[in-house]
Amino acid sequence: MITFKDVSFSYTPTVTILRDVDFSIERGEFVAIVGSNGAGKSTMLRLMNGLLKPGVGEVFVDDLSTHTNKTSKLAKRVGLLFQNPDRQICCNTIAEEIAFGFKNLELPQEEIDATVADIIEDFGFDGARDPFSVSRGERQKIALASIIAVAPEIIILDEPTTGLDYRECIHIMDKVTALNETGTTIIMVCHDMELVLDYAKRVIVVAAGQIIADGNAHEVFRDTFAMQTASLLPPQIIELATELGGQFEQADTVEQIVDIVKARKAV
Amino acid sequence: MRGFLDYVAGDSILHRLNPITKIILSLCICIACFASNNLIFLVGIIGIDLVFGAVGHVFDKAVSLLKGLVKISIFLFIIQVLFVHSGTVLVPLPFGLDITLDGVVLAAKVVLKIIGATMPLALLLSVTQMSDLSNALVKKLNVPYQYAFTFTTAIRFIPIFADEMAGIMEAQTSRGVEFDTKNIFKKLGLILPLCVPLLISSVKKINSSAIAAEVRGFHLRNRTSGYKDYPIAGNDTVAIFLSVLLVLFSLYLNTL
Ligand SMILES: Nc1ncnc2c1ncn2[C@@H]1O[C@H](COP(=O)(O)OP(=O)(O)OP(=O)(O)O)[C@@H](O)[C@H]1O
Ligand SMILES: [Mg+2]
Repeated sequence: MITFKDVSFSYTPTVTILRDVDFSIERGEFVAIVGSNGAGKSTMLRLMNGLLKPGVGEVFVDDLSTHTNKTSKLAKRVGLLFQNPDRQICCNTIAEEIAFGFKNLELPQEEIDATVADIIEDFGFDGARDPFSVSRGERQKIALASIIAVAPEIIILDEPTTGLDYRECIHIMDKVTALNETGTTIIMVCHDMELVLDYAKRVIVVAAGQIIADGNAHEVFRDTFAMQTASLLPPQIIELATELGGQFEQADTVEQIVDIVKARKAV
Repeated sequence: MRGFLDYVAGDSILHRLNPITKIILSLCICIACFASNNLIFLVGIIGIDLVFGAVGHVFDKAVSLLKGLVKISIFLFIIQVLFVHSGTVLVPLPFGLDITLDGVVLAAKVVLKIIGATMPLALLLSVTQMSDLSNALVKKLNVPYQYAFTFTTAIRFIPIFADEMAGIMEAQTSRGVEFDTKNIFKKLGLILPLCVPLLISSVKKINSSAIAAEVRGFHLRNRTSGYKDYPIAGNDTVAIFLSVLLVLFSLYLNTL
């Protein structure tokens, strides 16, 4: 669905931000991109929908090169949620905001109204409220809802949960997971490794503009070298499992560890 | 756009001039530009601007600034040419939109004046720290600190707003708004509705900087608060003298 072919990118001639990035993401995957501040994660996301064009190499959405296809056209396939919802929100009511993405799609009005009503009910918004007057978590949800509304096949999220409390965070992640289960491809940048372990199936580690690890969460978080190079701390449960070693070595969740302990006690 | 108003650290003669001198110098260049009617003089001023860029070790920046201004100017030039219809016709066009010699000369002058006058102001900010600028205004010219602060803050916020606007446009393009169109009029029409989010984020930002200033004792600050002094040195006197001379020269050329 999204393919990076030997991509390098720089904003200014002197500093290269991404170097020889080469990977592809298939339909229905749930991918987390992790790395320290300034590693180039947001830059990668901007390349994925053509907001930025690669200096070297090519980026494809399905089989469309971002060089020749405009971002506004790709928007039907790729929805990108930015870290700051205030940059995205621009309408007077929440209902208008959620309907905004449809303006460029030429769908029948009844269909639009029905979808918007569904989404509002699903998220429990008050459609007539001013989106700027609600809380930060609520605005983040409005921004997410307005991306989900137009049902893109790929949803890209840049730190969707930063600054949200645990409940809001889980709420957003559950929505995203539900979409993933119905076939939407999810790509997410996230600094919370626990969350990544809980939700993402594949993890891509970026350090200084290069991909240094790419695989399922279970393996990547056990790759000590990659974790250290990217200055990341693996989730505590994985640290615990590794420290305990033996039978526990391969455990990823609290339940797995508990099960092993219980089984041992029984013996 | 990014960073074209930023300070570039250095130790050139321009960096070392008194901020007040630099203000006078750039204002005089502006005045000379707007007073002059002489095409060659105006081109010369742009040359002087570039020389200043080189002396201040910000030549690359001066050149990219010039390039940017030229791009905007092409647009202004065309509009200007289409509005003047007196004088010898150079290219006849339908609807009385003939391109005339007068039109071309006038348009060239307007454009050169704008370029010549904008560059020194931008270069001034490249070789002068904001805090020096406001402190010197307060110490030497007795400008109340509040006003000097307002002035420098306004300048400081320009790139921040530009960044914010770019971010908003990115977000909207990702939602399918055609900001990536080549049609400039269409783009302008699309930008207007974005003023709402820009305004809201600006007010939020300004409000928080006001609070930050207030908790650090902004209201207590006055002329005696700054510890740095800004003496007028020999170089400064020479620079001011030359600036005034430039203005007089431009006026003199007009009388010829
Ligand atoms: N518009 C820009 N112009 C020049 N440099 C930029 C621009 N945007 C980002 N950069 C630089 O590119 C590098 C990578 O930025 P990017 O935003 O991709 O990092 P990130 O991995 O998303 O970091 P974070 O976790 O802080 O969001 C940073 O060093 C940043 O300073
Ligand atoms: Mg980022």
